[in-house]
Amino acid sequence: MHFLYSALQAILNGILTGSLYALIGMGMALIFGVMRIVNFAHGAFLMLGMYATYTMFLKSGLNPYISFLVAGLFLFGFGYLVFMGLLRPIRGHTDFMDILMTMGLSLILIDGVQLVFGADYHQINIPLLSKNIHFGSQISLNAPWLVSFAIALVCALLLYYVVMHTMFGRAARAVAQNRYSAPLVGINVNRVQGIAFGIGAAAAGIAGGLLLPVFYLYPEVGNQFKLKSFVMVVLGGMGSIQGAAVAGVVLGVVESLTSLYWGNEWALAVDFIIFLLVLSLRPNGLFGSQRV
Amino acid sequence: MSKKWQAIALVAFFVLALLVPTVIRADYTLQVLFRVFLFAALGLAWNLVGGYTGQLSLGHAAYFGAGAYGLALFSKAGVPPWIAILLSVVLAMLFALLIGSVSFRLRGPYFALATIAFAEVLRLVAKNLPDVTGGDVGTQVPLLFTRSSTVWFYEAGVVLTAAVLATTVWIVRSRLGYYLMAIREDQDTAMSVGVNATRYKLTALLISSAFTAVGGAFYASLFLYIVPDQVLSMDISSEVAIVAMLGGAGTLVGPLVGSIILESAAEIFKNIFQEAHLLIYGVLIMLVVLFLPEGIVGTLVQKLRIFKSPPPAPFAASPPAEIHAEPERAAIHE
Repeated sequence: MHFLYSALQAILNGILTGSLYALIGMGMALIFGVMRIVNFAHGAFLMLGMYATYTMFLKSGLNPYISFLVAGLFLFGFGYLVFMGLLRPIRGHTDFMDILMTMGLSLILIDGVQLVFGADYHQINIPLLSKNIHFGSQISLNAPWLVSFAIALVCALLLYYVVMHTMFGRAARAVAQNRYSAPLVGINVNRVQGIAFGIGAAAAGIAGGLLLPVFYLYPEVGNQFKLKSFVMVVLGGMGSIQGAAVAGVVLGVVESLTSLYWGNEWALAVDFIIFLLVLSLRPNGLFGSQRV
Repeated sequence: MSKKWQAIALVAFFVLALLVPTVIRADYTLQVLFRVFLFAALGLAWNLVGGYTGQLSLGHAAYFGAGAYGLALFSKAGVPPWIAILLSVVLAMLFALLIGSVSFRLRGPYFALATIAFAEVLRLVAKNLPDVTGGDVGTQVPLLFTRSSTVWFYEAGVVLTAAVLATTVWIVRSRLGYYLMAIREDQDTAMSVGVNATRYKLTALLISSAFTAVGGAFYASLFLYIVPDQVLSMDISSEVAIVAMLGGAGTLVGPLVGSIILESAAEIFKNIFQEAHLLIYGVLIMLVVLFLPEGIVGTLVQKLRIFKSPPPAPFAASPPAEIHAEPERAAIHE
């Protein structure tokens, strides 16, 4: 029986972590789907969201579960400006250049934050952290993870609604399908792409804010999430936001089970091995190839 | 400049480069110059796959690390260092065969991401198998040159760069080079006229991986000690690609120019800006991307061409790149 409970516990923990992965992956998938940009600054965006939330907590004691919204708004504006100022001018050149640009941006953001905040690890302490919620005698879940999960779920559903059921979402999907025909039906491609990039960055920023209470903080914290978001986007079918969301949860559960049975150090390796298996066996992703 | 003068200029450049240690003897300067030539060689090797074949590899750390760990581990097993380098080249080529046969079925960003994943798996395996690789603690690497080693490392770097450059010239002029560029321009069309795309892409990757492994071995031997997070890291993969792309992917001397500019700039920034050096480095990358979007050499060649020849007829202008399902690579040849 104990075996079953520990597996169940690991799966539940994995779902909680996976919900945050899902949010990060959906942001990446939106950016990839609408612009075909592999965003190497995605991890840096998440890190910015964490530091923004952290600063608000330090300066005014604002609870991260409120201030993550501010971080999201900030990242939305920042992402929009990045697209308009840095990525739009090089559209039409090779996709090498998009990658170089986002890599350069990532270096600047990480080093900039390191200059301002130092390279030290930080963690915040809120009362909620020590609370655990028990289900029966064997299963217990950490309260902040549960709260993060609930918020991430709402954000993910909201993002899904925006992309699938609003005028902006329709325009974004049109641009994803064919950016040369989209202007013919009156879509302002640049604006749609800028907003999509902003929303993608905001998703990473919100996930960062939600990770702050349960994770530790340092300038390069985003790198591991950047790599995971690549895995999610491919697993989910490049550019499908639902696919990326499901892939995020799958990744969370797989990592959690790997940590339980093989040890934490193999979790990331298993991510990549699954990724390579899926790439070679089902290059369209686990869930077909719909875009955005 | 005619082809003949280009060749003479390059030979003169390498002869002068070999003579540098007769003037400069300072260990520090020679180490910086070694790094310049090492990354020039790595960038040139990457260019065979990334530039001429248009396959954006972001996992060259796999071959670099194979060279570094190959030298360390084969030597530990009692093999003489230079033979160990040969064995590690074979090891890197085996990795290339495995990585290529899976990844080359994928295109565009899928390929780039697959190469990242392979390199990361290797890094994590090296970290998690301390009995074989020493894990995070690292492992010792034998010194290749025992007397005045910095000078010899520098010379080895220059020779390696010259060797990759010569190989590139030979490939670009051969049938293989034309196949590779045809694959870059339009793989489907190339295949439809009977070019075995997978085979030629693999050939390019095998050659590239062999040189990259030699570079990795030199690097490791200079440092004497290696850890997975250093020689198998994403940083190595991206630095190699950045050097080549900034210089001009698919141009003959682009990676060399890119390495001279980037590696010396990085060193200067480290001294002047200290902790902010990566920030300045990032700004430099951005400025080049914004103002020289085909890379330094690529954009210059384009400008010269426009300057020399009358503007192309309007119908000759290429259609917007993304109308095709597969994003087109800019056509830059020398």
